[in-house]
Amino acid sequence: MPINGVTISILLFGIALLGLVLRRDLVIKLLALGLVNASTILCLVSLRARPDGAAPILGAPGESVMVDPLPHAMVLSAIVINFAILALSLVFVMLLVERYHTGDSQQIERETSKEEEP
Amino acid sequence: MILALFPLLRFGFGVLSIAWGRGRRALLVMSHLVDGALIGLLAATFRGGRELTFVAGGWERGLGIALVGDRIGLTFAALAWGLGVAVSLYTWNRNLRSYFYMLLHLLVGACYALVFTKDLFNAYVIFELLTLTSFLLVAYERRPGQIWASLRYLFLASLGMGIFLLGVAVTYYHVGSLDLDLIAAHVAAGPEAGWIALASALLVSGVAVKAGVFSFALWLPSAHSLAMPAVSALLSGLVIKMGVVELFRLSDAFPLDLPLVVLGVLTCSLGILYAVASSNVKRLLAFHTISQIGYLLIGFGSGTLAARLGALDYAVAHGLFKALLFLAVGDAARAVGTTDIRDLTARRADIPIASKIALLIGVLGIVGMPPFAGFAAKAVLEAGLHSTVVHALVGLTSVGTVISFSKLIPLLTLDGPRSLDRLRLAAYAWLGGSVLFFLPLSRTMIPQSIWSCCWSGWAFFEALGAILLGLLLYRVLRHVRLRLPQRIFRIEEGVLVILGGFLLVFLLLRLRG
Repeated sequence: MPINGVTISILLFGIALLGLVLRRDLVIKLLALGLVNASTILCLVSLRARPDGAAPILGAPGESVMVDPLPHAMVLSAIVINFAILALSLVFVMLLVERYHTGDSQQIERETSKEEEP
Repeated sequence: MILALFPLLRFGFGVLSIAWGRGRRALLVMSHLVDGALIGLLAATFRGGRELTFVAGGWERGLGIALVGDRIGLTFAALAWGLGVAVSLYTWNRNLRSYFYMLLHLLVGACYALVFTKDLFNAYVIFELLTLTSFLLVAYERRPGQIWASLRYLFLASLGMGIFLLGVAVTYYHVGSLDLDLIAAHVAAGPEAGWIALASALLVSGVAVKAGVFSFALWLPSAHSLAMPAVSALLSGLVIKMGVVELFRLSDAFPLDLPLVVLGVLTCSLGILYAVASSNVKRLLAFHTISQIGYLLIGFGSGTLAARLGALDYAVAHGLFKALLFLAVGDAARAVGTTDIRDLTARRADIPIASKIALLIGVLGIVGMPPFAGFAAKAVLEAGLHSTVVHALVGLTSVGTVISFSKLIPLLTLDGPRSLDRLRLAAYAWLGGSVLFFLPLSRTMIPQSIWSCCWSGWAFFEALGAILLGLLLYRVLRHVRLRLPQRIFRIEEGVLVILGGFLLVFLLLRLRG
């Protein structure tokens, strides 16, 4: 198996999934979620990468083969969205930790299900 | 151009309602009026017999983001508008913060954007916007249970969107475009290509997390049952439907019939089982949302035009009566102070009479009583099903629906406080009227040729038979207690079942190809 962006991103995705399933701490789960998003972004950029291509600028002198600029535009939006999601969910994790004094997902699950009606 | 105005104006109103908090209600009224006019304008261009296409930024099709105003887009935009109006009426006197109104504008605007877009990456961005707004709306009251439910929702939805983005990447690598029409042409040219199974499995699994498909959307029951009634109505009636619309568009482009039918059957039967077992009325409604999504998937997967259009019609009908049910149940629960069905029944005299009538109309709609909303759409859907086994399963699900809603029959007595806020009555009348008179409304979506061959005495008898059988079975089974595993609704298990669902879809697609 060649070592390139795609294989690394698949590996990272797997690690992130393990983190989401096995680790019970909410902050670590959030880090794993960040890793999920980072690995998809890496996959998106590296699928159409061409190391010999030039920067996609119209009218630039010299090179004729250009890199496809569309994935770069998409990746920018994806990064911004993921930043927003991580920031927001950190606030919510903070609220929960302040209330229950624990970041353990299963303990919070028990506490909340005690408070809400079954 | 008008297509891009729909979401952009709403986003503008959202920003304005934060900036000018005192005028938030005036802005709300104005936005509904403007949107109503835009929808009317769009419907008028359809009378002229043409579809609108708009590519943002003046690029050619395939490079820019394409918005297409077709009949389906128009219908779901109208649904978004109608539910927006209902929720505004319902919450008018509750003195909510301008932050709520901003989120409402953003949510409806994002729905407008999604129903018209034909671009996969644009759909991804809008889905994330929907995730964020519904995340904040679920936790609006800041109860710890709500915060935890919305956090779980965010984890699973964000993972789903990551999977969706991988699908977008694979598709873009092979097709070189994100336009669904161009992708459909490319897939049709070489349907045997190996990447199609991988790309479509990734895309479907990602959208299924948002669309409320069982095993993908196990965040749904707690998020929808713990939110405020107005928010639950929007989430269950509208936001879930956005995933459904995207699944419909995907099933246009990719050969998805087998996995959709299998997922649909799973979703139907498991959703109904959990609904029958639940004793909390809002959770019962939430599980019903899941089980009814199963109908839609079966309709999309069975290939005939009648079934596909009938499923879309059912999606609209479900949006209307589920929103009505959530609003009515929310009122009842506030009057009594609990959502447990036994406690509600014990203190049914405290429930306002208007809420009981609204509840009755909603129940008649959802169990498929002729000639109301559920029946009208289901008849078209079932007329398009060719496989007898699938048809029988759909019939069984209808029976299950009746069984679980029979639990609410003792609530419907003719006593209770008569006074209720006028505007809330208006919200009930708005939704209830559209449930009762759905038959003429759904004519706009279904062409005459399909419409005329769907109506037979058989559909009528089938609907009535399902209702009678359900009532009978409820009499027999009502003391049986069903114990189902509740562990699967935790985050860890949620991630695992999403992966399991993805593998299932992928294997089914490989099997077929």
